[in-house]
Amino acid sequence: MNTIIYIVLQATVILLVAPLVNGIINKVKAFSQKRKGASVFQMYYDLLKLFRKSCVVSETASWIFKVAPWILFATSLTAGMLVPVTTLIHPLHYPGDVILLLSLLALGRFFMMLAGLDTGSTFGGMGSSREGMISSLMEPSILVCLFTVSLVAGSTSITSIVGGMQELGTPLAKPVFILIFLAMLTVIMAETARIPVDDPSTHLELTMVHEAMILEYSGRQLALMEYGSAIKQLLLMDMVVNFFFPHDQFLMAGVSGVLLSLLIYLAKVILLSLLIAFVEVSTVKFKLFSIPNLAALAFILSFLGFFQYFVIGGSHV
Amino acid sequence: MSELLDIFSVLILLSAFVLMANKRIRSYIKTFRIQSFFIAAAAGVMGWESFIEKGHVDILVVCAIIVILKVIYIPNLLSKVYSNLEYRVEKDFIFNIPLLILISCGLVVFTYFSVSTVEGLNEGFLNKQIINSVSVFLMGLFFMISRKKAIGQIIGFLELENGLYICAMFSTHGMPLVVDLGIFVDMLTAVMIMGLMVFRINEKYESINIKKLNRLKG
Amino acid sequence: MILLLLLIPGLSAALFFLCRNNKINHIINVSAASLLLLCGAWLTGQVIHSPEMEYRSLGFFYMDPLGIIVLDIVLFIGFATGIYSVSYLENEIQEGVLPKTRCRLYYGLFYLFLFTMILALTVENMGIFWIAIEATTLASAFLVGFHNDKHALEAAWKYVIICSVGIAIALLGIILLHLSSIDALSEGQQLDFPALFAKAAVLKKPIVRLSFLFILIGFGTKAGLAPMHTWLPDAHSQAPSPISALLSGVLLNSAMYGIMRTVAIVNRCEGGSQYTGRLLIGAGLLSVLTAAVFILTQKDYKRLLAYSSIEHMGIVALAVGVFTPLSLFAGLFHMINHSLTKSMLFLSAGTILQKFHTKKVQKIKGLLRTLPVTGPVFFLGLFAIAGVPPFSVFASELSVILALFDAKYLYIGGVLAVLLAGIFAGIAATLFPMIAGGGTEEEEEEGEAIPVGEINKGGTAVILMLFCIICIGGFFLPDSVILLMEGARDLMLGL
Repeated sequence: MNTIIYIVLQATVILLVAPLVNGIINKVKAFSQKRKGASVFQMYYDLLKLFRKSCVVSETASWIFKVAPWILFATSLTAGMLVPVTTLIHPLHYPGDVILLLSLLALGRFFMMLAGLDTGSTFGGMGSSREGMISSLMEPSILVCLFTVSLVAGSTSITSIVGGMQELGTPLAKPVFILIFLAMLTVIMAETARIPVDDPSTHLELTMVHEAMILEYSGRQLALMEYGSAIKQLLLMDMVVNFFFPHDQFLMAGVSGVLLSLLIYLAKVILLSLLIAFVEVSTVKFKLFSIPNLAALAFILSFLGFFQYFVIGGSHV
Repeated sequence: MSELLDIFSVLILLSAFVLMANKRIRSYIKTFRIQSFFIAAAAGVMGWESFIEKGHVDILVVCAIIVILKVIYIPNLLSKVYSNLEYRVEKDFIFNIPLLILISCGLVVFTYFSVSTVEGLNEGFLNKQIINSVSVFLMGLFFMISRKKAIGQIIGFLELENGLYICAMFSTHGMPLVVDLGIFVDMLTAVMIMGLMVFRINEKYESINIKKLNRLKG
Repeated sequence: MILLLLLIPGLSAALFFLCRNNKINHIINVSAASLLLLCGAWLTGQVIHSPEMEYRSLGFFYMDPLGIIVLDIVLFIGFATGIYSVSYLENEIQEGVLPKTRCRLYYGLFYLFLFTMILALTVENMGIFWIAIEATTLASAFLVGFHNDKHALEAAWKYVIICSVGIAIALLGIILLHLSSIDALSEGQQLDFPALFAKAAVLKKPIVRLSFLFILIGFGTKAGLAPMHTWLPDAHSQAPSPISALLSGVLLNSAMYGIMRTVAIVNRCEGGSQYTGRLLIGAGLLSVLTAAVFILTQKDYKRLLAYSSIEHMGIVALAVGVFTPLSLFAGLFHMINHSLTKSMLFLSAGTILQKFHTKKVQKIKGLLRTLPVTGPVFFLGLFAIAGVPPFSVFASELSVILALFDAKYLYIGGVLAVLLAGIFAGIAATLFPMIAGGGTEEEEEEGEAIPVGEINKGGTAVILMLFCIICIGGFFLPDSVILLMEGARDLMLGL
């Protein structure tokens, strides 16, 4: 019974907060360009608009094209259940959670890549191949990061990991976690298709990766694709925010505790969005063939963090 | 304090990796400056602590020397040497960057396993810091052999000395002061001599690609 | 007195940079070299006649038999080379190869080089020893590249880079040695050779082993042990000949001295010579093998002499590795003989180079005729360095092989003997064609004839003196020398 309440609560929070992140980032980018920019809630309006419109589907598309948005949305939302927004509500947790999370995200990404290829347009194929390259290069880094934090917390279930990190108090004081934090930030930039890996507001053939794959979508399907990507972005940010800035250790259970915790969580997410926006504003998009170098950088950071855990030790010291 | 030293030692190792991933000579010099700055900061922390506890100013003196020599003077010297050379844009390293990084990771793991089997190297104060230091040393060596330009070799040599210095610092609080001063003077002279030689090589060979230095064989 | 030993080269180097007149520079050179030799003789006397065979001064300098042997070699060969350099430089200036002003650069760096080497051999602190050895690399860098052409520059760059990296590895070893002694020694005494040796049994064994490995690789680079020898043929063949004599005869010894001291400490700590023995014998054998392979195919006689240095240093390493009283005595004896013979050979090679203007063996003919004194001496010197009786090198090589058999290293002794025979064959085949021939009528008609006669009077005298010493050394050693060598041997064994 409790589990169902938790699931509903978590789903509501995720669905409500996900578009907000995009809005904040776009607003900050607009400010940096001395424009007023669209409203922070613009994405909500966009999604509502898109849900009411009908879809135009190419004649050469197969069932994959129609199914992919639903799969992406479903996998993202399910994965979102695995990452608790606050440890006071834990909807789903199993041992080996971490791997399940990554697999779900990979499933969604796989179908998105297939959908890009499905319509037979050149932009889609190009986007899919680029996405394949980038994501396969970034996988090792995020795997190593997650393994390190699970080593520290002594468990592979994300809820327990967050609980374990809470016991450390301020994880960022240890060099191990500084490195993992930086590595995860780099991976987030890649996974969520942000500068310096991919520009989310461009439609130029030279520079688009994620946008290329969803170029052919319209109406409700486009809304689902965008929503799925936004949820994925939120849950990656969730992981960073809850691993490295845990806040629940000071709160008590009970409805007021949960509400307070959710408010603090919202604040953390807003701050992280500001940080991401700041990074986006201050760098440029890399050449496609420099992405392996960036992936190597993320890998060094995560590898060093993993390694320093053995050399220096990072837990309960 | 020990945590602060841990953070510095990790940052130094990180800067060694970043140095490996650099492509241009100006960025080598910049990254070397940053690495030396971290070393000076770690020396400063250690020196401050030893000053408060025992009243020795040795390590603080050494920290000051590192700042003057390795953060300010030697990078400037190398920049001047480089700016007087003919500028040719060519690829400086023999493998590509991700492969270099992977090999460096391999070196770090190798150091870890080698040092762990030697007893007595990782007790108490040391806290296995020597692994980071010897890794920086090995990466400096690898940097030297993976670059084609002569200045790359000089920077690799300097990184090697950096690694040695942090090894000495973390394991034994540095060598006796006289020895430390001598080491710095030696290193400074070595860099000056190497810089002069790079000039002459550039004059005679029209480039600083050391693959061209292969006339003496057998 | 040791201060005087250091002051003389230091002051001379400074004087050279001030004085521009070449004649005065030559005079300063000769007088400084002679003074150094006199100081060395006095110091040797002090060490021999003092009760524990030691000489300490100012709490900083320390001389014992091992150090004094190597130091004497330095001073003696420095003296010989200094006298030789006078005419050598004059000839070079006359031929126009060397501008007049570079003469004082040569002398200045020469004496700086001597200063750093004397410093290395007279201090008791290992850290300062390391600093001085690194300084020798730096001081001799521009001496190696003195001719300033492409080959010399390449040789100098290789020399600086490889030796600096090697020495840095040795520093890692010294740091580890320091680490192992932190609990055992008081603050003022850490890194002192005698103190480390005395307390060797309480140092932490695994760290000492690791540090020995690094020190062997590091100082082995400077001593020319394979596989770190790659700078040696280039540097020794491209440097001006007197400098080659110094590098071969003196610098390699100083590095080997460092290895010997460390071996003594490590063996005392381990309580046996198994560990160091294996490493040193391996390195030594590899060096002799490498030298043998390359000597068989050499076309440049100075390079051949350089490879021969590698071979002999390998033999010394072998002797030190075996670490029995006989082998240690033989090793020290061999070090002395090799230095004298090799410097004599390099000085003769310098005269030959000035006469014939080529380094290639094929182009030289009729050595005995054109250089009546240096020619035969070079010829006989080649016999000597290849280990032929009745010269001193034969005596010491034989002692080393005997020591190997005595210590039950039968196969290694056998392999060594075969390799030495191979090296003799290589030297004979390559260099003996230089001796005869020439002076034929076709050559004189074509105007290619080389004028007969010695060109370097002072140098020839020095070469002759060295030759006489190595002739006698095979049969007779003065008592004081034997006393010193036995003292050094006992020092290393810890008796």
